[in-house]
Amino acid sequence: MNKNKSNRILAGPYLFWSVAFILIPLAMIVYYGFTNESGGFTFANIAEIGSPENLKALGLALLLSFISTLICLILAYPLAMILSEANVNQSSFIVMIFILPMWMNFLLRTLAWQTLLEKNGVINSVLDFLHMPNLQIINTPYAIILGMVYNFLPFMVLPIYNALIKLDKDVINAARDLGATQKQTFLKIIFPLTLPGIISGITMVFVPALTTFVISDLLGGSKILLIGNVIEQKFKQGSNWNVGSGLSLVMMIFILLSMAIMNKYDKDGEGGMF
Amino acid sequence: MKHIGRKIYLALIFILMYAPIATLVVLSFNSSKTRAKWGGFTLKWYSSMLADSSIMNALYTTLIIAFLSALIATVIGTAASVGIHSMQAKLKTFFITVTNIPMLNADIVTGISLMLLFIACRFTLGFATILIAHITFNIPYVIMSVLPKLRQVNHSTYEAALDLGASRTYAFRKVIFPDILPGVLSGFLLAFTMSLDDFIITHFTKGPGVDTLSTKIYSEVRKGIKPEMYALSTLLFVSVLVLMMLANSAPKKDESGRIKRSSFIAKRVVPIVLILVFVGGGFLSHIISNANSSSEQLVVYNWGEYIDPEVIEMFQEETGIQVTYEEYETNEIMYPKVQSGAIAYDVVCPSDYMIERMLQNDLLAEINWDNVPNIKNIDEAYMEQSKSFDPENKYSVPYCFGTVGILYNKTMVDEPITSWDVLWDEKYKDNILMQDSVRDAFAVALKRNGDSINSTDVTELQQATQDLIEQKPLVQAYVVDQVRDKMIGNEAAIGVIYSGEAIYTQRENSDLEYVIPEEGSNVWIDSWVIPKNAKNKENAEEFLNFLCRPEIALMNFDYITYSTPNKAGRELIEDDDIRNSRIAFPTAEDLKDCETFKFLGDEADAYYNELWNKVKAS
Repeated sequence: MNKNKSNRILAGPYLFWSVAFILIPLAMIVYYGFTNESGGFTFANIAEIGSPENLKALGLALLLSFISTLICLILAYPLAMILSEANVNQSSFIVMIFILPMWMNFLLRTLAWQTLLEKNGVINSVLDFLHMPNLQIINTPYAIILGMVYNFLPFMVLPIYNALIKLDKDVINAARDLGATQKQTFLKIIFPLTLPGIISGITMVFVPALTTFVISDLLGGSKILLIGNVIEQKFKQGSNWNVGSGLSLVMMIFILLSMAIMNKYDKDGEGGMF
Repeated sequence: MKHIGRKIYLALIFILMYAPIATLVVLSFNSSKTRAKWGGFTLKWYSSMLADSSIMNALYTTLIIAFLSALIATVIGTAASVGIHSMQAKLKTFFITVTNIPMLNADIVTGISLMLLFIACRFTLGFATILIAHITFNIPYVIMSVLPKLRQVNHSTYEAALDLGASRTYAFRKVIFPDILPGVLSGFLLAFTMSLDDFIITHFTKGPGVDTLSTKIYSEVRKGIKPEMYALSTLLFVSVLVLMMLANSAPKKDESGRIKRSSFIAKRVVPIVLILVFVGGGFLSHIISNANSSSEQLVVYNWGEYIDPEVIEMFQEETGIQVTYEEYETNEIMYPKVQSGAIAYDVVCPSDYMIERMLQNDLLAEINWDNVPNIKNIDEAYMEQSKSFDPENKYSVPYCFGTVGILYNKTMVDEPITSWDVLWDEKYKDNILMQDSVRDAFAVALKRNGDSINSTDVTELQQATQDLIEQKPLVQAYVVDQVRDKMIGNEAAIGVIYSGEAIYTQRENSDLEYVIPEEGSNVWIDSWVIPKNAKNKENAEEFLNFLCRPEIALMNFDYITYSTPNKAGRELIEDDDIRNSRIAFPTAEDLKDCETFKFLGDEADAYYNELWNKVKAS
């Protein structure tokens, strides 16, 4: 059935759905982004990104999401290695550990960090009890980074974990037999072979971190504006859709870049999460 | 040694993942309404959760949307996977790229793009639009789960079946489908989970009156999450956890590597049964809530936490009128909903300047005072004050009033506070809480400079903007009603707060003191009005009459702690200190320099917003 042409028709409903609800809506954003309120063509909405306030929000968003992605990668890789060496029968259990928190609402989970991080919050109470210096990061960019790492870590762990369990153990054994040290085996064999998983993890963390407005709102005390907050305000409060769409388009450049990189490394979607 | 290191590392990650969840579980047993304080163990939120129809409705909507969107996405996605799998490389790449778009695209862009589409097609935002949006982002998860399974399928078996005379559908059903079934089911579960957890896309595609748990929680963030939410999430979480543990304790694979039937049941069937039970429960609760609705209706639209829930129950019992109760968090959110007329509210409770705006735009109906004889209980002084926005006392029934002032913690501030200047004092850097709403924030800055809180003078406003930008580094956070919890929990030394909240916070933390700064402030009044498109005007008037009863006014005062203009109700307050409190019932002397907000016109409104954005982005 591999190249059976009549099977293709089964993708028909999906084709219709994706044109109607993925491609056309994207075209709408492009339309709004390049027109003014009376419908004339303009670059002014795109140029809005150049205003000092918006540039600052974009720059900060890029910085914070870059740092969070890096931290996620550093935390996730060893974690995925440990997990992948665990008993195979537990694999679904391991995946569940990371999926399970999603059943507790995302906003509540993030809000709980407020309770934990506050000046007199749970963590500082524990530190006080141990006579250790307090942690003052609530309402700062550090709290936002923590929130991003916490919320998006599973999206880094799962693709890397999947890439690792698909590794052919014989290849690793062969390398060892041929005299490679542990370090060499990792650098020359394991790491390159898991690269699709890593790339997929990076995009899965970087994009949502770059565009979030909820985490910065809840953990930044409404003081720190990221590009996501600016866009959200344009739509929900200022109701200036044209500028909001223009800024979304600028943001999409970064998303398209990620997609291009992902397609290059991961032609068959092998590095997927699941 | 290495082994221990690994275990410690795993444990640390585990703590990171589950610390917030443990916190939420603990909060669900906290008898204090604020999350800043542990008030003892209680189970009351679990019982009140079941009685709260707005939470139950949100739960029902969430589960139905998660179930339907996951189901439809699974059907479309599985069919698509089979189709894509049989395509040539080029076409395949195209489809996979399109599939990647919703996975990789920012949620905010996906949400906005769908919203633009729905609005362009004149599709009313509501349940259906949320469902479509969720199906859209769920399909890719299904395809990503099913495609890899299809690659593993052994084609010789399928061809053998065909050779042996099986029809193509029969061979698919008997040979291919059982092999990809685990992928299909995990795709379904994943889609269900993603839908359940989504906030951003729902936020943009939802319409008025429809709420999922996520959007409901977001609207509660500013005024403080209801503890019932913690209880509900804990219940959801624990049931899934128990289920997963059951699934994992089931027998392992047998020697041939195929999953045993019993284990299959535990891992796949049980979760799905659970989902069905959840969803079925949702349907049932909806049916029940519909069943006991009587023919007499009343739709109330009020501020969050602004009435004693028992009052509504008493009203329903006494009159047999079924009350539908909805909440909003700011005047600005309420206004467009009433103006659009999408929902016919019978009675709404806006502030002074907003009533003025609604009157100007002819949105209000005159109240028939013959149906509201209890209006006599309202202090004449407040009827007089209402004339600033309702010149002939024809449209509004005063409900609550108060001032805006400074709440400070006596243990953290040495000098007596008398002026707004303290909010610009370097000494209190990171210890100041400002109001996160345009008019309130500007009122503080304008009054400090001796200007009117209704100023439309460009130089005055520019100066105020400058001052607010200068103040920003000193501010710990911009908050609305969260200032209450934060001050109770000793999180900050000074906060800008409404007088009603001040009384509540003093009850919980006796170190707090409230003051109206000497430069003057805002004195406000919230009143009930009846929109012109109300369908049950007489019921609304009966409700207003009920609220004006002294003992009901007292109940509400005890619950919401905002000052009541009900003179007879005030006389019933037993505690002398509160009955004569100058915070709750300020004298004319206290209010010497206080003003009421006025509606400034759309243009000035937009200018205020622009300046506020500048402050927030600085």
